[in-house]
Amino acid sequence: MAKADDIIHQPLRLRIMAALSAGNGSGQEFDFARLKSVTQASDGNLGSHIETLERAHYVEVERGYRGRRPRMVVRPTPQGLRAYKDHVAFLRSIIEGEMER
Amino acid sequence: MQIDAKSAEASLADIDVIVARLKQSSFYRGASTLIIGWGALVAFGYVASSFVPREAGLIWVILNGLGLIATVATGLQYRRKGADFEWRIVIALVLFFALGLVCCRMGHFGWREIDAFWPILFMFGYALAGLWLGRAFTLLGVAIAALCFAGYLWVERWFDFYLAVVDGGGLILAGLWMRRA
Repeated sequence: MAKADDIIHQPLRLRIMAALSAGNGSGQEFDFARLKSVTQASDGNLGSHIETLERAHYVEVERGYRGRRPRMVVRPTPQGLRAYKDHVAFLRSIIEGEMER
Repeated sequence: MQIDAKSAEASLADIDVIVARLKQSSFYRGASTLIIGWGALVAFGYVASSFVPREAGLIWVILNGLGLIATVATGLQYRRKGADFEWRIVIALVLFFALGLVCCRMGHFGWREIDAFWPILFMFGYALAGLWLGRAFTLLGVAIAALCFAGYLWVERWFDFYLAVVDGGGLILAGLWMRRA
């Protein structure tokens, strides 16, 4: 049975995982700027939540340079995608449960 | 962790917003390459036709043909990558060309009217498309069409160069902005 995921449920982390999961299906790559634009988060906030997801092994972060500018590419791990899917299934099950009452 | 139905619903709605935003951002990024390409072609067309006005017709036929081929090639490339490409965009472009040709023929326009008419026609197309594709297209279309019309009314000399900057440059800038979306 699907269960809640404490790490993913935080609103910004949920948005990050939603974007990475949706983009993963169509082979899209997410650098920091793109994630910032899609999630509409501040630099500091986004950076710290990406670190939390990285520590949980839900995302992999590749840090490098494009020309002289630092570039961070964030990719979901299979573990992260599974956790996100389970969390979404859990959220749906709560709503369905409420409707059946 | 306790999550009630209201909170679950809010989270799912948040996910829907992100997915929709991502879809639009992907579309803008895909379209940006085409828009920058068309901007460069259009700017080159105005500059070239101001230097050799007698060959302006031929220049525009060649440039528009190149633009259409590039649009189709980009569409094919996106499809190979597994992304969606709206073939209706190509059909819409062809229909707009046809409408433009009919209007030019019926209107007996002078060169100045023709120069102003084409970008205004296509910018109206962008503005209309924006009603479905995203506000950026509508803003881009209305702004460039208004500037082209203002140029037609008030810019006497260097009109072709004005259009190269406003129409071609406007498309390139808009494409660069969309790439960052």
